[in-house]
Amino acid sequence: MRDKQVDIAIIGSGAGGGTVAKALSPLCRDGVSVAVLESGPRLKEEEYTGRELEMAERLYFDGGGVLTRDRSVTLAFGHAYGGSTVVYTGTSLPLRESTLRKWNVRGLDFDDLQRRSRKYFAENHVHLLPDECINDNNRLFAGACRTLGYRVEQFPVNVDGCRGSGLCNLGCPNGAKMGTHRVQLPQAERNGVTVVTNCAVDRIDPAARTVRATVRREAIGHPPAWEPGEYRVRARAVIVAAGAVNSPAILLRSGLAGDLKALGRYFTCHPALILVGQHDHPITNFSGHPKSYYSDHFAESEGFLLETCMYFPFVTAKSLAGFGDEPRALMSAMDRLQMILVLALDAALPGNRVTVNGRGEPVVDYRLSEPVRASLVKAMRASARIFFASGARRVHAPAGRTFFVEAGDSDRLDDLIPLEGFKAGKVSVSSAHLMGGCRMGDGPAASVTDAWGGVHGVPWLFVADASLFPGSAEINPYITIMALADRVAERVRGRLPELPQ
Amino acid sequence: MYTMFLLSVGERIAPGLHDLDAAGRRRVAAIVERAVAARPPRVRRQLSAFLHLLRWLPAARYGRPFDRLRGAQQDAVLRWFHDSPLAPFRHGFWGVKTLIFMGYYGRPEAAAEIGYRPARAGAPPFHAR
Repeated sequence: MRDKQVDIAIIGSGAGGGTVAKALSPLCRDGVSVAVLESGPRLKEEEYTGRELEMAERLYFDGGGVLTRDRSVTLAFGHAYGGSTVVYTGTSLPLRESTLRKWNVRGLDFDDLQRRSRKYFAENHVHLLPDECINDNNRLFAGACRTLGYRVEQFPVNVDGCRGSGLCNLGCPNGAKMGTHRVQLPQAERNGVTVVTNCAVDRIDPAARTVRATVRREAIGHPPAWEPGEYRVRARAVIVAAGAVNSPAILLRSGLAGDLKALGRYFTCHPALILVGQHDHPITNFSGHPKSYYSDHFAESEGFLLETCMYFPFVTAKSLAGFGDEPRALMSAMDRLQMILVLALDAALPGNRVTVNGRGEPVVDYRLSEPVRASLVKAMRASARIFFASGARRVHAPAGRTFFVEAGDSDRLDDLIPLEGFKAGKVSVSSAHLMGGCRMGDGPAASVTDAWGGVHGVPWLFVADASLFPGSAEINPYITIMALADRVAERVRGRLPELPQ
Repeated sequence: MYTMFLLSVGERIAPGLHDLDAAGRRRVAAIVERAVAARPPRVRRQLSAFLHLLRWLPAARYGRPFDRLRGAQQDAVLRWFHDSPLAPFRHGFWGVKTLIFMGYYGRPEAAAEIGYRPARAGAPPFHAR
């Protein structure tokens, strides 16, 4: 066991950890030492191959196949220098005021969050792609939404030098996505922050204020900043930003559950479906930016969002209900598929939670509630309407009575896609928006941190990621994570002089 | 040890598997075996138990294990698991199906076969900017 001493230890380097690292990095000039401990690798440019299984294994926890305890939802979250910002599509939307009101966190002000969000719009080059860069898959969605009277908006995205390879979710092979791996972390390193990759944190020892971590040697990526081995890192302040599964798990392994009854609880994840419609002729879908439009038309009334998407062969196949000749027929037409990602806006419930098993591994209990199942079925019907309004010949709805719904049956969607057709396991549900588990709030009885990410009762311990969310973000969460992390950094900066060596 | 049986089930799940040559089938098997090996021991035991069930439960109805049924009978068995009233059976089938699809569609050569040809160089409209 080797010992290290730093002033600030940050666990995780994604939207939360990367942002905190950069925001605190000017302190390095005053002699403050900052280390970021990241479990994933820092890939070399040539290691972004765009090959589906290879990149999933390199950039996602368990290759993107983490299952909830009852196996009803697959959770995908990144582990890499830059965390999940390496593998998202760069969609950047601020939290809505209505959502913040639902969160009801005293001391978390909408104007403050907006101001900080705007800061990261500028810093991460968030903008709208010009019309000529919108591919058919996206254009058809937007046009059909307008035809049907569904509200539709273009996604601001944080790309710079995008070549339209369409491989965002496998890590951009052209280095165009402006996640923390391209913007905040390099700047933090230039200012003196040390980023230690391949470094898995096991636990924090609150009595000694140390972080237990293991640095691994890996066959890929740049070598880690520290020699492989086990470490005990003593820090004046510790910021946990390992994501909504691993942040609660680290705090649970650290023995903090006794005082914090909400720790691990109120996990939400925007349960999602990948839906496809098949056209008679090829459309541009796998080239170009995959996610240019969204519709929140049904967010308030039916509890779901619709977003454009374009996934890879295995993920697409996995999303289909059924087997045999029909999926084969659909899959053989990848260049004619239009895709929509449906996101259910799930409620934060105490029973949906992260725990750790006997080996200390995180386990996620998540129940697909009746309202969520109903939302997802309604979303399948709405998506089918969009596909048909786009000119699709047939549609696959996983809860459908038959594998395909043909265009000629588009007036019978309520009958052909029944609520009872949704069965967990039969319908493949996934999630990449993991939230909650260390929720902000007023006190330890019902929350884990205060409105500035400070863990109740532990003045040197902070949380700075989506696990802070008291409820679902109801929109893609990354900019909100960054805005909250910016607040956490401000609080750490203010408190650090009071914290003992 | 269960890869051969898994691939025989896979031929009903992803019929294209049947058309692959020996090298293609080996690539599918390698992907599946690698994915299974990466799972925790508990998950591997569950998969093994489910495959055992899938193989022998049909004997109660047809008098023969799964791999000795006709294609249509195999499909009927798989359909029952896929839409079973029992969630663990549905989830077990989903796991098997996912492994097969990973092996079949995860082969790099599968992409071109199904019309999926992304290019690192991207799309022309982006180049003009």
